[in-house]
Amino acid sequence: MKIIGLIISVLTGAMLVYAAADFPAWSDPSSPASTYLSPHFIEKTMEETSVPNIVTAVLADYRSFDTMFETAVIFSAGLVCFFLLRTTRRKESETETTHYRHTLTGVTIQIKEGHTLPPSDEFERIDSLWTPSGLIIKTSCRLLVPFIQLFGLYVIAHGHYSPGGGFQGGVILGASIIMLAISYDLRTIIERISEKMVAVLCAVGVLIFSGTGALCLLLGVNFLDYNALAPILLVDPLTARSHAILIVEIGVGVAVMTTMIWLYCNLSSAGKYNQGL
Amino acid sequence: MDIIVCVLLFAGLFFFTGGAVGILRFPDFYSRLHPAGKLDTLGSLLTMTAFALYNLHHFSLGALLTSSKMILIIVFVFVASPTATHAIVDAGVRAGLEPWTSGEKRR
Repeated sequence: MKIIGLIISVLTGAMLVYAAADFPAWSDPSSPASTYLSPHFIEKTMEETSVPNIVTAVLADYRSFDTMFETAVIFSAGLVCFFLLRTTRRKESETETTHYRHTLTGVTIQIKEGHTLPPSDEFERIDSLWTPSGLIIKTSCRLLVPFIQLFGLYVIAHGHYSPGGGFQGGVILGASIIMLAISYDLRTIIERISEKMVAVLCAVGVLIFSGTGALCLLLGVNFLDYNALAPILLVDPLTARSHAILIVEIGVGVAVMTTMIWLYCNLSSAGKYNQGL
Repeated sequence: MDIIVCVLLFAGLFFFTGGAVGILRFPDFYSRLHPAGKLDTLGSLLTMTAFALYNLHHFSLGALLTSSKMILIIVFVFVASPTATHAIVDAGVRAGLEPWTSGEKRR
């Protein structure tokens, strides 16, 4: 089986190299892309989509089919990680023990499964493997997280005018929440954004993107032809293209952010979701 | 104005150079993080302040906005960079890395 896999990958690689030799040279001014496509995008982007940033216009409008499936790929990456790692059943021999620390004295106690601690403020739950970071790291992460999230939203919303967009903004948003999980512990973020919520939001992100495309289809034009959304968004067709780009970028951002959190939670807790880095 | 900008820039470059030399010359992990955390922070603070001042040469509302963004960068670097160094040192202590003592070999 291994040998067959090796042969297939070597053959695919050889075919890729063989095909890559036929590409036009780097920055060849007479290649088809430079003679027809690039001038069209450079000259017409502003009047066709009213988006100053050509990269965003190409990514989310001219070539949005590709971007939609990129989002779907990211969603399926999160889904695959979930299916491979998430464990809900435990072995018979394994019993879950939880650890609590008495905040005043620092004494750690271990509670076996089936027993509970009487409710009191003096004990805090701790992980058995991971000691949370110190006060300095916690405080400055708490200080920085809102600004990082604000910047992530800015990157998503400002993708029309400056470098940025859904993917980058989504990664920044996801990283801010992962930073919270590293400086505190995994339970802190699961309390704020549960596993179910993450999974649902991840699918909703893809749904926003493909739903925008399907809405165009329902209104009688091609898939992802944003001009048709003008009556719904109450603007002229040009501005509708610009606004629809923002809508799909929001979808991409939601999908990317939640996929990052999903991957992190599954990987760091080995699919158990009880404790982790 | 130009003089202040120049002084700040050269002071920043001086600290950057010191940081680079320190990272190369210090004997172990913890002492190498010392210049990386302190001098790089101070160097970037000084150079960014110089940029923000230089940007205000032709005063306008746009230039003021850009300069205040630079000031924001300074604030965030000032908070984040020493914390990152602290976290790295913390990780080193947890992993059980012994600090270097005088007389030992460089590592």
